[in-house]
Amino acid sequence: MGNKQTIFTQEQLDAYQDCTFFTRKEILRLFYRYRDLAPQLVPLDYSDKPAVTLPYELIGSMPELKDNPFRQRIAEVFSEHGDGNMTLDDFLDMFSVLSEMAPRDLKAYYAFKIYDFNNDDYICKSDLEKTVNKLTRNELTPEEVSLVCEKVIYEADVDNDGKLSLADFQHMIVRAPDFLR
Amino acid sequence: MSYHYNEAFENPDYHFSETLEIDRRGSSQRNPFSHQTPYDSSLHDSYGEHRGREQNYPVAIPVVSMGPAPDYSQDLPSTSQYGYFTDNLSFEPEPELIYTPHPTFHLLDYPYTREISSASEDNFIRRRNRRPPVETFMSISSMFEGDPEDSEEEDLVGSLAHMSAKERIKAIQKKPKTMRKKREIRNKVLKEISKKSRHHGAQPSCCTQCLQGAAVSFRRFGNTLSEYFDQLRIWHKTLKIIGAEFGTSVLSYFVFLKWLLNFNIFSFLINFGFITIPQFLAAEPNNLSFTGLELFTGAGYFQQTVLYYGFYTNATINKIENGPSYNMQLAYIFTVGIYFVICFLILLFSMMIFFFRSFVPKTFSVNASNLFCIWDFNITNERAVKLKQKNLHTQIKEGLTDVNKEVLNYSITERLRRTAIHLIAWLASLGTAVAACTGVYFLSVNNLKLFMEGYRNDLEGQAAMLVLPVIVSLLNTLIPFFFSWLGHLEKFQTPGWHIYVTIIRNTILKMSIVGILCYYWLNVVATSESQCWETLVGQDIYRLVLVDFIFCLLGSFFGEFLRRIIGTTVCIRLGPPEFDIGRNILNLIYAQTLTWIGILFSPLLPGIQTIAFFIVFFVKKVSLMRNCQPPRKVWRTTQMMTSFILLLFCPSFLGVVCVIGVTVWRSKPSEECGPFRGLSSMYAAVDEWIQILDSYTAYRWVVWIYHNLIKSVLFFFTLSTFVLQEEIRCFYSRSYRHTKGQNEAHLRWEEDASREAPLHTSHPGNLPRRCQTTQEGNLTETKTQPTMSIPFLLRSRAAVTFYQLWSLAVGIGHGPGVCTEDGDSAGPETQAATVGPLEQGPFANKSPLPFSPVRLSSNSRGHRT
Repeated sequence: MGNKQTIFTQEQLDAYQDCTFFTRKEILRLFYRYRDLAPQLVPLDYSDKPAVTLPYELIGSMPELKDNPFRQRIAEVFSEHGDGNMTLDDFLDMFSVLSEMAPRDLKAYYAFKIYDFNNDDYICKSDLEKTVNKLTRNELTPEEVSLVCEKVIYEADVDNDGKLSLADFQHMIVRAPDFLR
Repeated sequence: MSYHYNEAFENPDYHFSETLEIDRRGSSQRNPFSHQTPYDSSLHDSYGEHRGREQNYPVAIPVVSMGPAPDYSQDLPSTSQYGYFTDNLSFEPEPELIYTPHPTFHLLDYPYTREISSASEDNFIRRRNRRPPVETFMSISSMFEGDPEDSEEEDLVGSLAHMSAKERIKAIQKKPKTMRKKREIRNKVLKEISKKSRHHGAQPSCCTQCLQGAAVSFRRFGNTLSEYFDQLRIWHKTLKIIGAEFGTSVLSYFVFLKWLLNFNIFSFLINFGFITIPQFLAAEPNNLSFTGLELFTGAGYFQQTVLYYGFYTNATINKIENGPSYNMQLAYIFTVGIYFVICFLILLFSMMIFFFRSFVPKTFSVNASNLFCIWDFNITNERAVKLKQKNLHTQIKEGLTDVNKEVLNYSITERLRRTAIHLIAWLASLGTAVAACTGVYFLSVNNLKLFMEGYRNDLEGQAAMLVLPVIVSLLNTLIPFFFSWLGHLEKFQTPGWHIYVTIIRNTILKMSIVGILCYYWLNVVATSESQCWETLVGQDIYRLVLVDFIFCLLGSFFGEFLRRIIGTTVCIRLGPPEFDIGRNILNLIYAQTLTWIGILFSPLLPGIQTIAFFIVFFVKKVSLMRNCQPPRKVWRTTQMMTSFILLLFCPSFLGVVCVIGVTVWRSKPSEECGPFRGLSSMYAAVDEWIQILDSYTAYRWVVWIYHNLIKSVLFFFTLSTFVLQEEIRCFYSRSYRHTKGQNEAHLRWEEDASREAPLHTSHPGNLPRRCQTTQEGNLTETKTQPTMSIPFLLRSRAAVTFYQLWSLAVGIGHGPGVCTEDGDSAGPETQAATVGPLEQGPFANKSPLPFSPVRLSSNSRGHRT
C-alpha cells in the first residue's frame, strides 16, 4: 500500500474512481495487471501521465481474453483508436464495463459495438455471419450460417430495414435475461 | 482463429478511414480539450486560478495531461499506428489490424441521448437564454454555439452539476465513452460546481474550503471503507473461478448454496440470540455422560443441552431482583414466529426479483437473443470454450432442423403409444414414491416402539436410531436414478421437458417423504407416551440432517471422484462426469426443508446446517475442480435461479409453515419438558399473556391491536389482497411491456422523446438520469395505455382466477367445522385459519381457546411486536 502514492496522485485516483466502477485497490491491481503485460514499457510512476500504449497482441494474451472468440473485437472496441492497442485508460475502461458492477444498458451498448464488426453502427448480415462463425468455430456450412442470420434479422429487426440498429439490439437485449455478463 | 475482413476491404470507409480520421481529428469537436485551441488554454488558465485558491479540491488533474499527450491526436495520422511502441519490436502486428483503424466511438457517442437529441438541442438554446449569466459560464466561455454534440455536452455538464455527488458519479460511470471523455466531463462538472459555489458565497471563505476539504476526505474515507467491505465478501474469488471454468450454470448452484448459507447464519443468529443465550442464564446442570457417539445420534448427552426444545425452561428469567425479566415462553414463540415471517418476506421478494429478471415471453425472438446472449463471457478456460463452441454448433444445427421440420406429425397409434408410455412412467414414479413413503412410515412406527420399550444406551440401540435416517437418505439417493432411467425410456421430444419432468418427480418424492415423516411426528410421536416428544422429533431431524450431509459427501466421492476414475481409466468412452446441477439443487432444498421444520424442535439446527453447508461448499468445489467437466447442456441460467427459489418457496417453505402451524395450534406440548409444559397448545402462551396485559391499563393498546388487527380475519384478508394485488400489478406491467413492446418500439421511442422535452426545459437536472434509463423509464411510463394482447389477457385471466380461488379458500375458513387439512393448496394463512376449529383431540375441552379460532392466522404471531 505504501507505494501507491508513487504510481498515481491522489487526484488521479479520484478521477479513476469517478469514471470507473472500481475501488482504489482494484484500480491499483488492474494497473499491476497492465504493467505485468509489458514491464519494460509501462513505468511504475504514472503521475506524470506517460503516453504508453500496449499492442493488441499483449492485451489479447491475458487469461481473461485469450480464449474468448471475440477478443480482438473487444480490444478494438475499447481502444480509443479502434485498433486494439490500449492505453491504461482504455484498459481500465474495458474492465470497468466488463465488470459485474456495470449496468445492463451500458453492457448492451458495448455488446452492440462488439457485434458490429464493420463499425457502420448497424449489425448487418455480414456482422451476424461473423458472429455465428466465431461462436461455432466455422463449423457450419455457409448456407446454414446465412439461414441463421436471416432468421435472427427477421426476428429482431423492428424497423424492417434489413439490419439491426442499436435500438433494435437494446430492445432485444434488455428483455433477454441471459444477457447478464 | 481466422478473422475475415472481406467486408472491410470492400467497404470504402475503410480505405478512407485514416484520412477521415485526420479530418475528424483536425476539426475534432468531440475532443475540444485535447488539442490547442484558444478556449482550451483560457479554460485551463481560469481553471488554474481555481486551483490556486482552493487547494483541497480534487479536480486538480489537467484535462489533457493524463491521457495521451496533447498533440497525440494530431500526430497520429502521420505516424504509423504502432508509432507509440515501435521500441517494442518483438511484436509482429497481425495483418488484419491494418484494416481496422476505424474510430470506434464516433457516431454513437450518445446512445441514450440520441433519441432526444433534437429536442434537447432545441431546449438547450432556450434554456441558455433563460439562464442567469452566472450559469452560462461554460457555454459562453467555450463558445460552442451551433454544434449539436457540444451543446449536448454542455447541457450534460450543466445538468450533472445540479446532481448530488453520488448521482453525478454514477451518471459519469455509466456514460459509454472513453475514459478521456468521461474525465473531461467530470472535470468540467467539478469546475462548474466550484464556480457556482464561489459565486454563491461571494468570497471563498475559510469555512467553505474547510467544508469542501472535509467532503473530499469524507469521500476518500468512504471509498477506503467500501474496499474493506469488499474484502468481507467471502468466496468472491472462488465463485469467479468456478464461473470461469464451468460457466454460469454450475456457478448458479454455488450461488444458491451461498445464499442458503447466509440464510442459515441469519437464522442461527436470531435463534441463538433470543432463545439460547437467555437459556444459558437459567441452565440446569447436565448430568448425562458424553461418549462421542452422540454426535451421530444426537441423543444421550445432547438431550440435556440447548440443542433441543426439551431443555428450555418455562420460567421467567429474572437475574436481577425486581429488574427486567425475560419470559421464555413468549420469547420462544415470538422468535420462531417472527423468523418465519421474515423468511416469508425474504423468499417472496427474492422470488419477485428473480422472476422479473428472468421473465421472457416464449415467442420473442428466441433465435436472435440466443445468438447474442448465448456466449458466456465468464468462461476463460480453453477446454470449456471449445466445448461451448461445439455445443453451440450442435444447438444451432438442431434449431435449423426444427425450423425445417416444423412440427413432427405422429400418427394416431404412435401418439397413443407415446401417451401410454408417459402414463405408465408417471404411474411408476408415483407408485415408487408411495411405496417409499409407506416403507418409511412403517419403519418409523416400528422404530418408535423400539424406543418406547426401553431406552438402551448401548451400541445396538444407537445403531437402531440411525436406521431410519439412513434408509430415508438411501431412498432419496437411489430412486432419482430410477427416475432418470424412466425419463430415458420415455424419449421426450425436447431435452428441456426431460429435465423438468425429472425434477418434478424428484420433488414429489422428496416432499412426500418429508410429509409422511411430519405426519408420523405429529400424529404418532406427539400422542405417544414418551416423556418429551418434541425432543424426540428434534433428534430425528438432527439425525436426518446429519445423515443427509454424510450422503452428500459420499455422493461427491462416488458420483464424481470414482466416476472420474472409471471414466478416465477403465471406460474412456464415458469421459469425466458432469456436475449434476438438478440433483444437487434438490438435495439442498431437501436439507433446507428439514432445517426449517427442525427450528421449533431444535433451535440450534440452523447452526449445524450452516456448518454442514460450509463443508459441502468446499467439498463440492474441490470435487468439481478435480473431477468434473463443464456441462454439455446449454442452461438458461437466470431462469434456473428463479426455479430454485420457487421450489424452495412453494412445496418446501409453505409445507413447513403448515407443519409448524399445526404444531403450534393443535399439538399438545409435553407435560414435563420444554417452555410450554402444562399448556394446552403452544399458542395458549400468547393468549395468557394477552389476558395478563388486559389488566394493565397502560398496555391496553397492545390488547386492542391483538383483538382488532391480529385476530381479525378482515385485516388479513386485506393484507393478503394487498400483497396479491401488488404482485399482479407488477406482473401486469411486466407482461404488458413485453407484449406491447415489439411492434411499437420505434414509435414509442420517438414519441417519448418529444414528450420528455418539456420536462427538460423545466428541470435541467432531470436530463442525464432520464437519458440513462430511457428504455426502462419510457416503457413504464406508457404502460397505462390500453393495449391488450391475447397472451396478456390470458395471463391476467389466470391471475384473476387464482385470486378468486384464494378469496374462496380464505372464505372457507369462516364456516365452522369445514375441514381443509391440505393447506398447501391455499397457502399458509388458510391452513392456520382452518386448523383452529378442528381442535378436537383429547385436550380440546381442557382449555378451549378464548376466542374464535377461525380468526387465527399463522402470520399473527409476527405482528405483535
